[in-house]
Amino acid sequence: MNPSANSVVYNTPNYLDAEGGVRSWLFTRDHKRIGVMYLVLTTSAFALGGLFAMLIRIELLTPGPTIMSAMTYNRMFTLHGVVMIFLFMVPAIPGIFGNFFLPLMLGAQDVAFPRLNLLSVYLYLVGATIAVWGMIQGGADTGWTFYAPYSTTTTTKVVPILLGAFVIGFSSIVTGINFIVTTHTMRGPGLTWDRMPLFVWSIYATSIIQVLATPVLGMVLLLVAIEHSFGFGIFDPARGGDPILLQHLFWFYSHPAVYIMVLPAMAVISEVVCAFARKNMFGYKAVAYSSLGIAFVGFFTWGHHLFTSGQSAFDAGIFGVLSMFVGIFTAIKVFNWTATLYKGAIKFTAPFAYVCGFLFFLVFGGMTGVALATVSLDVHWQDTYFVVAHFHFIMVGGTIMAFLAGIHYWWPKMFGRMYSEGWALVAACTIIFGFNATFIPQFLLGNMGMPRRYYSYPAQFWPLNVASTAGASLLGFGFLLVLVYLLLSLKYGRVAGANPWGSRGFEWNTPSPPSALNFPVPPVFTHGPHDYQDRGPGEEPSPTPPPEAQHA
Amino acid sequence: MAHGENAAGFEEHHGTGRYVAVWVALCVLTVATFLTSRLALGPPWHLLVAMAIAGGKATLVALFFMHLWDQPGANRLVFVTSLAFVALLIGLTVLDNATRFPLTNPPHEQTLRFQPPGEEPHVQEGERGQGRPGAIGRPAAEH
Repeated sequence: MNPSANSVVYNTPNYLDAEGGVRSWLFTRDHKRIGVMYLVLTTSAFALGGLFAMLIRIELLTPGPTIMSAMTYNRMFTLHGVVMIFLFMVPAIPGIFGNFFLPLMLGAQDVAFPRLNLLSVYLYLVGATIAVWGMIQGGADTGWTFYAPYSTTTTTKVVPILLGAFVIGFSSIVTGINFIVTTHTMRGPGLTWDRMPLFVWSIYATSIIQVLATPVLGMVLLLVAIEHSFGFGIFDPARGGDPILLQHLFWFYSHPAVYIMVLPAMAVISEVVCAFARKNMFGYKAVAYSSLGIAFVGFFTWGHHLFTSGQSAFDAGIFGVLSMFVGIFTAIKVFNWTATLYKGAIKFTAPFAYVCGFLFFLVFGGMTGVALATVSLDVHWQDTYFVVAHFHFIMVGGTIMAFLAGIHYWWPKMFGRMYSEGWALVAACTIIFGFNATFIPQFLLGNMGMPRRYYSYPAQFWPLNVASTAGASLLGFGFLLVLVYLLLSLKYGRVAGANPWGSRGFEWNTPSPPSALNFPVPPVFTHGPHDYQDRGPGEEPSPTPPPEAQHA
Repeated sequence: MAHGENAAGFEEHHGTGRYVAVWVALCVLTVATFLTSRLALGPPWHLLVAMAIAGGKATLVALFFMHLWDQPGANRLVFVTSLAFVALLIGLTVLDNATRFPLTNPPHEQTLRFQPPGEEPHVQEGERGQGRPGAIGRPAAEH
């Protein structure tokens, strides 16, 4: 961005103060306010999903019944999955950070379709309300995958949950279309594709998956709801249907959905790594193109969820090989992030602590993923806690680490206040340790043969289940800690200033919080992102932060 | 707007003649779908013919009613790419259906049979003489 843009004095109020009253929020078309609305909604969903998780872990504290019946337990793990995936992990990072920062990084006034953007929030809200209504009515007990024939014959309230997820899918598609068009048509002067921040590249790749894959999910959820309601024989073999067809259609979306969750996480990590290593990204183009590579190859791998379902051995072999390719693109990113850290002037702050957690969970979870993509191994691990631990490591651990890294990194920009760095580091350590304590025992349990989704288990699995529940408690405590100090910072935190981290990201060239109109004059981009000085041997690793933009 | 990707040329309008012609073509193809369904083509050809006609109709709608014909190459590429993903979904799913252990398919299902290289045909004792319609790659004696 043109350095002269840094010294611009903003005559417009920031987006939080621009308009007052509830109505101004409910009908806003400001991408930043919509990002904040997503923050409130998805964080609430995360709290609800976390509550279900804690209830599951408490139930598994003893081998027999502990606090709930078997039927309630089935509903708990179903609702935990549905809420966490459809209401938190898929929409969280694109909805919050994508909405807030994509236009700022592109030098745009807003997204391409602001009204459509607001519609996406309300679609999310309507879908979430339908799903929560279904939960209050008794909830589903099918697992979040809705496998037939159980999902088409169960007497629990599966239809509202299906319809809720179906409506939320439209929110996801609308957001994806908006981001794709914004990236293509609203880049500021001089912002060529090879100058775009890596955050934008990853969000763009995510949007492609959202637009291409989500309609398939919507279709299959609707078909399950129709079969459940009217008894058509689409998936139920007793009525002439094919249950494996459901799994094909479901995973055609739901495996790329893993990358809908992880690619935005990678987007955040690319920004935070550069900011706290104070270095340009090593291999910028490789990282950017690998996002597209993951988005592309992610569509070729869905059959590895069907290895033991009755899918043909021939197809399983093909999917097993294709699944390995995702590891190549992911490895490119990991090598480039670590190469960026090499000889960087690392500042160990809370966002950076979460980057470390992310790298560990991604590599550990990714390597177990490569093992699970091997058919002969997967046959033994299928539907055991090993799989549960694997996807929690890579999908949940990765996404949550990046979510927390992003929220800590951009909190000063979004709200203009700093949080307590000491408490933030304590919380980061608690969460990372708690996450490991929760899921490493589950790897061991799965390897010993404990199946997932079981209400009771043999006594030999007891100690590891106790360890997992203790870890989950620590994890929950860590999240509460984050919530408390971030909320306190809104009132008591010190004023952050435009760029407290000295970051070179384009979005930091605005005041904190940003102006309602983003930029008084369109910024001109004269260089690539993360423009940290290239340092020779012995040079001081501290580029001068840009001058602070301020409100008048 | 960055680099003129939305440049002029999108707003080109055509007379109603083109739309009427496309509409007539769609009607003719709909009738063709109905008529071919009455022909004794046998599986899987009746399905393939119906899908080919439906694909042709969808192409006409996309090209003319959705104005893809007037769009620049990049937008056409996006559309074709999405078709490639549809082909991927259908292709690998049908490949599974055609190569899986036959008894895992629903009863009375009409499936293509394809023998993967180096694999023995799956023929159960009770299955002999009960070959499904449209089965490909089985010894004739089994039918």
